[in-house]
Formats: sequence, structure tokens, C-alpha cells
Amino acid sequence: MKRILTALALTAAVGFAVPAFAADTAEVGKPAPAFTLKDEAGKEHSLSQYQGKIVVLEWTNKECPFVQRHYKAKTMQNTLKGFDANKVVWLAVNSTNTVTASADATWKKEQGFAYPVLQDPAGTVGKAYGAKTTPHMYVIDEKGVVRYAGAIDDDPRGKNATAVNHVKTAVDALLSGKPVPAASTEPYGCSVKYKS
Amino acid sequence: MRRQRRSRWGLLLCGLVASAVAWAGPPSSAVGSGAPDEGNPRVEGELLLDASQVKPGDTFRVGVRFRMDPDWHIYWKNPGDSGLSTDVTWDTPGVTVGELRWPFPSTFRTPDGFIVTYGYHDEVLLFAEARASEQATGSLTLSAAVDALVCRERCIPAEMVLSRSLPVGPETVRNAETTVAFDASQAQVPRTAQAASVATALKLDAQSLKTGQPFTGTLTVSATDGQALPGVEPGFFVPERVRGIKRMDLVSEAPGRFRLQGDAAVEAPKEEPRLKGVLRLGTAKTGYRALEVDLPLAPVEVVPVAAKAPPTVPGLMAPSVPPPAQAQMTAPAAAAPELSLGLALLFAFLGGAILNLMPCVFPVLALKAYGFTRLAQEDRGRVGRHALAYTGGIIGTMLLLAIVVLVVRAGGNSVGWGFQFQEPLFVAGVCGLLVAFALNLFGVFNVGTDGTSLAGKVDASHGLSRSVGEGVLAVVLATPCSAPMMGTAVGFAFAAGTGTVLAIFTALGLGLALPFCALVMIPGLAKRLPKPGAWMERAKQVLGFALLGTAVWLVWVMGGLAGVDGMARLLAFLVAVAMGAWLYGLAQASGGTRRLVGVLAALAVLVTTGGFTLRFDGAAPTARASTVSAAQPWDQAAVAAALEAGQPVFIDFTADWCLTCKFNERTVLSREDVRSAFTRHQVAFFVADWTRRDERITAMLSAHGRAGVPMYLVISPATPDRPEVLPELLTADIVIQAVKRASGLGTDAT
Repeated sequence: MKRILTALALTAAVGFAVPAFAADTAEVGKPAPAFTLKDEAGKEHSLSQYQGKIVVLEWTNKECPFVQRHYKAKTMQNTLKGFDANKVVWLAVNSTNTVTASADATWKKEQGFAYPVLQDPAGTVGKAYGAKTTPHMYVIDEKGVVRYAGAIDDDPRGKNATAVNHVKTAVDALLSGKPVPAASTEPYGCSVKYKS
Repeated sequence: MRRQRRSRWGLLLCGLVASAVAWAGPPSSAVGSGAPDEGNPRVEGELLLDASQVKPGDTFRVGVRFRMDPDWHIYWKNPGDSGLSTDVTWDTPGVTVGELRWPFPSTFRTPDGFIVTYGYHDEVLLFAEARASEQATGSLTLSAAVDALVCRERCIPAEMVLSRSLPVGPETVRNAETTVAFDASQAQVPRTAQAASVATALKLDAQSLKTGQPFTGTLTVSATDGQALPGVEPGFFVPERVRGIKRMDLVSEAPGRFRLQGDAAVEAPKEEPRLKGVLRLGTAKTGYRALEVDLPLAPVEVVPVAAKAPPTVPGLMAPSVPPPAQAQMTAPAAAAPELSLGLALLFAFLGGAILNLMPCVFPVLALKAYGFTRLAQEDRGRVGRHALAYTGGIIGTMLLLAIVVLVVRAGGNSVGWGFQFQEPLFVAGVCGLLVAFALNLFGVFNVGTDGTSLAGKVDASHGLSRSVGEGVLAVVLATPCSAPMMGTAVGFAFAAGTGTVLAIFTALGLGLALPFCALVMIPGLAKRLPKPGAWMERAKQVLGFALLGTAVWLVWVMGGLAGVDGMARLLAFLVAVAMGAWLYGLAQASGGTRRLVGVLAALAVLVTTGGFTLRFDGAAPTARASTVSAAQPWDQAAVAAALEAGQPVFIDFTADWCLTCKFNERTVLSREDVRSAFTRHQVAFFVADWTRRDERITAMLSAHGRAGVPMYLVISPATPDRPEVLPELLTADIVIQAVKRASGLGTDAT
């Protein structure tokens, strides 16, 4: 009995010593938070359905000058083009509180890209991932583990002709079975306009 | 782009000429505007010099004064979570310009505190020291290319090229007007500790930082000139970006003493990271003293992500981590994701075990204890079968609950632990079950085995199915109590995949079943219990009343869900349950057709009354006086407003059906000393009532890794984005100390 009580007291003590698992955001090396969201065409996408592929998540908002700059330069489209389409999936996520499917559909047509724009007006998925800026990029490996989180490149001001594309580096490393050299970088851009 | 700006400038100039009559403005190229928005520039920039003539070799100051529209801001050198730092590039032939000096920035937060940025609103002068070359002659031209991001809700880039010429002469002539502006700006620029006559010291709680893990320490600032250091205001600390550090924050504990809390990044930096940032001592009343803080932290130790341990309170619990956790922490890195799951499973298991001590489960535990005294006399095989049945009942119900969670979640809704108590029908069902159970204990009817045929040898009231039922009841009643640790484990499960949810709930169930199973399985222990006898019948009946007491509580919960009408309906239903039980009991005592008629009659009573009474529209819950006066309903905007006003905030996430919550409210939160601490520190007290479904509250809980109530958040106005989460079981001391910390006073201060 005493032993059991001691064990219980111990577990209780540990319980108090562990206030929280922290906010379980998308952390490099940890499983990516699961989600199911509809895209601009109303089609559902779950992270789990892409298990076995590398998933790139791009937080986006067409109103943001940083996003506009990258789309003008076709940064995202060109990055995706460099990957094996059978192995890499690109999902844009829009966590702007005012997002509408039709606006994103129009934008997608204007910009001429094919990947879905997931609608997250409640911001729950964005917050689960800890997405703070547009763009904010995440690379998730075949097993659903976050392997990269941060900026698209090392050129916040868009003035560097030889910018290093962090997402490309990360995906290339994963495809060749190597560790991602810079697993996290400081994202830059506009703040995600969450509902609050 | 440039042409456009010029034409804009032309417009501006026209405006100036028209309005300001005899104002001799600066040369046109020294001012500019940017961030065009709805026909208005949101920022204006002006190149300023504090000299109107310079002698070769002399120093002067050169800067850009930014004037923003109301609500618009530009960024500090570390913009924070988003944004872009303001960049000024100099082109100054014949002049060397030093590093840009940054006045102490403001902290901007989104209303939910999720995104924190640093910068300037209204007006700021960013400047640098400059020196004219010894060979300078004639006139010097100073140009600044400004690249700023101007944000409010939206962000608009602003690019300006500003230039001004400075005559070279035999003497340096100060410009009185601009010198005032430069001096004012300089006074806001943080100085090194030495220049500010203070000494800074940092003591970390650990020898090293571990990648991906939190760290803590204490920063002390003492005045070398013997002056007392003033307190601080919200936003007093702004960290710089430091490689290897994901987050750094200071909480004021006492004047001159700060608690450092940070998270090391997942990647180790090449060099040892430093505590770097700016600190502002003082208040608007006392005046400010801004300091640069730059102190070495500790070497970073690479910890494989797999071995990531949960945050622990340093120096307190480190040695008492139970062996299984130790084993997991040192396990190889290969099985990365599984290991954090392993830890979550361990927590779930331990949490389940602790759940036995919670007030919710207590009636069931009492029941089990009673049953145990009987079982203790029996042979071990039979005892084992009962333990298995009880465990089976628990696990089965847990899995059912897990499946419900998954189904609800698949439907796109978020759920939390205890969510089922937000359903009036569920509350009614459990309440009916409790009454039926109590009546069974009173001997109104028998459960399980057939009373007539097997009467005698086998105690009908203690069949195996009854053990299963007790397991079911234990789980059902356990849900409103979120035990320590379990909150985290279930929170983890709710965010994870199907398999994880099932595994976590199973572990919870095993933990819940553990103490009872351990008790019956440990030999010798049983022999010490009192012998069965007539007292047991009475004890059984007393326990029946305990169950009725629990039913009273659920009736009260129903009041919160469906008002007085709902309570009355529930009570009517309970009468029907009692009557049904009584009829069933009568039927058990007779045989043949009469027996069938009795059972049918019991069913009929239950079904018809149930059909009439169990309609809860959920409208008009009975208003209840809060246990804490001056409590306001939780609202993000109100919380933000209170923090803005410098008030610490306490948020009580509670629900009527949460016994732990009620227990804390009655025994701790309504205590005199706690309440006076709230008053003294002007704490804004918010109650987030989760009795009924509330998506906002569910989201808030999950944001802090919890799936259910209670949860207590204490937010300091100094660090609104880093709320402190208090343990599920409160003590007056925990609350008072947390409130003190949040109000910026140390534990020693009164």
C-alpha cells in the first residue's frame, strides 16, 4: 500500500512539474498537426491523405506585398516545378480571416498555378502550425514529420539575385535522404491576418 | 516607381506652398513619402542633420525622421514575428556614417497575442553619428535610401531616396531645432550597462541550453551609483534575434530582478548564444532608462529531437522523474515521432491513475472499495476475473469515447475532454443511471445474474457484469475531472491521428483501472481488510446515498444547461427511473407472465416519461452568482483591453459539471487572501464558462495543449503573449504568487 501511495504521490508531483506539453505547434522533428481543409474549389484535403509524399505547406495571402512579389517572380511555382511531381505535394493555406474561395479561385487563375489553396478562415490550422507570416513555409516528410519551418528564401527585401531557396534546399535534401541543412529559419513577410 | 514618387512629392509641395505661407521648407529632396494607400502616403520621411555647416573632421548626426499616419507603424531592427526591419542605406561621399541608432521600440500584438512585432508608430528619428572627412571642401551631399515596411492591418512597402547637402565651413554650426530632435531620440536609444551606470548579471538555472527545450534563469540589474532601480512598464523588454534561440522573454519579479524564460531552437548555433535585447527601466512617471543587454547564455547541447523531454521546473523535480520516462529520454533517436507519443502514453497512464483520487470518481471508488472487501475473501482467480471485468469496462468505455471523439472530429468540430457533459441528454442519462444504481444498492432490484434461479450461493449483486458496469461508470463520471497531466495527454491525443487517440485513451483507461487491480492483486493486502458481515449491507446502502448525492450535482449541472425547466424535467424523469426500477424489482420477485408484464411495465414507464420529459431546448439557463465577485465573462477584446491598461489578467476556464473547477473556486479562488491579492494587484478576473459548447473556449484550451477544464491562465501585461498556465489543482499560494509575478512584483515584494 505504501508503495502504491508513494508511486501515486510521485506521479502527482510529476504531474505538477509538467505544466503543459507547450502549445504543440509544428516543430521541426515532430509530427505535423493533422488537418482537413477545403480548397478554393470545395475539395477536401487532409494531411493524412498525402502520407508517403513530401508535403510543402505555404501560408499565403494574395493581399500581402511579400506574397505578391513572390508570385510576380513565380518563386513558388518555379520551386515546385523543380520537384518530382510524384513525390512532392504543394498546398497553399490561406488563414486570412476574410478569405473567400472565389477570391482565391480568381487569384489562382490569374497567377496560373495548379496547386490547391486551402481555406482556413478560422485560423485553427494556421495557429496549430504557428504560422505567423505570409509567406511562411513548412516541409513535411513522407512520414508526416515536420522537417523545415521558416522563410521561403534568405532574401526578405527581394533584392538579392542569388537568394538561397530554403524550401528547395530542404526538399532536395529529403529526396536524397540527407538531413535538412537549415531546418528552421526566421520567416519574413506580412503577419497572418487571423480572426480574433 | 521613382517618377511616381516625384509627382507625389510635387503634390505634397503644392499643398505645402498653399498652406504654409512663409515657411522656408527644407530642400525638396530631403523629404519624401511612401506606402501609398487609398491615395494617401502612410509614411513621410525627412532627412535631418543636426548641423547647418560642418568643419572638416568634425562629427555631427544624420538621421531620417519618419512620420506615420495614426495606427500605422514601421519596424525595429528585429521586427519580431512578422514584418521587416526598417533599412537605411547611406550614400555619403566625403562623410563616414556610423551604425544606425534605434530608440527603444514599442511592442505590437494582434488582439489574440499570437503575433508580436516591434517597431514605431507616430514618429521616430532613426539616426547615426557621422564624420566629415578632413579633406572635405565646398558642400557635402548626404543621401539615404530608405526601405521600410509600413503596416496597420495591411502592409505596404515604402521606398524613399532622401538627400540633403551640407556646406563645409571653418566652424561647425549646430542647428538648434534639429539638435533638440536628435537629443530627444538619443535619450531613447538604449545605452550599454556601463554607460547607464548599472551592472547586469545573468544566472541560468542549468549549465547548458538543450536544443528544442526551454530554459530559465534570473537577470539582475543593479545600479552602480547606488540609486534605487524603478519598476517597469509593459513592453519593457524587446529581444533581438539570436541564433539558436527561438524565444526569449523576461518577467519582472522585483525592481531590478527579472525571470528569464526562453526556448532554445531545434538547431544548435555555431557560437554560444547570448541574451541580447533592450530593456527599459522606469515608467512614464519616473522617466525611462533604456539599456542594452548583452550577456552570454550557456553552451548549447544538442539533444536529438526524439529524446525531447517535456519542460520541467528546474531544481524541483528533476530527480523524481519516474524510471520509464528516463528510459524514454535516453532512447535512440531513430524512432523520433513514436517517442513523444510514448511520453504522452505514459502521461495518460499516470493521469488515469491519479484520476482515481479526483472527486468525480470517488463514489465509484467507494463502491469498488466496498466490493473489494467481499472479493478479498474469495479465491484469487475470481478476484482476477473481476479485476479484468472492471478493466474491460473501463477500456471499452474509453474506446467508445475515443470513437465518439474521432467521429465528431471527422465532422469538422473540435471537442474537448468532458464535452459530453455539454449535452443535456447525456447528463440526464448519467443521472438516471446513478439513481438506478443507488436503488440497486438499496436492494430495490438486482442486477446481472438472474436473481431467482441463482439466488443463494452467488451474490447476485456482485456478478462479473456488475464489475464491467462499475468500470463504465468510473469512466463516465471521470470525464468532468481533468486530472493533472491528463489534460496534456488528452490534449496531445486530440491533436493527433486516429491510432494515437485510441492508444492514449486505452492508456488512460489502464491507468484508471490500475489502483484497484493493484490492490486486489497484491497478496496479503486483502487479508487486512475487515471481515464481511451485516455491516456490509448497511455500508452498501450508505454508498447508495453517495450516488444520489452525485445525482443532485448533475441536476444542478442541468440547471446550467437548460434552466429551471430542464431541472424539473430531469427530476420527473428520475422519478420515472425510480418507478421503473421498482417495477422491475417486483417483476424479479415473481415469475412467468407476471414477470414479463412487470418488465414491460417498467420499460413503458421509462420510455413514455422519458419521451415527455427529455426535451431540453437549452434555453434560459439559470443565472448563477459567480463565486468571485467582479468576475466578468471571458472575452478576448476585454482581456486585451485590461492588459493594455496594465492590469494582470486571470482567466478561469470552468464548467458547472467540472468538479475540480468548482472545488478550486470554492476552496481557493473565493478565499479572502486570494481575493484581496486580486484586489491589491488590480487583477482583471475573467470566467470562461464551458458548461455549454463554446468553440472559442475549446480553441483557447487546445491552444494551451489542453482538452478540457479546469485551466487557469495568468497573463502579465508585460508579457501578454506568454500566459502562465497554473496547475489543475490550485492552492492559494500558487494563485497569489502567480498574480504577484503577473503584476510585475517579485515573490519577495508585497
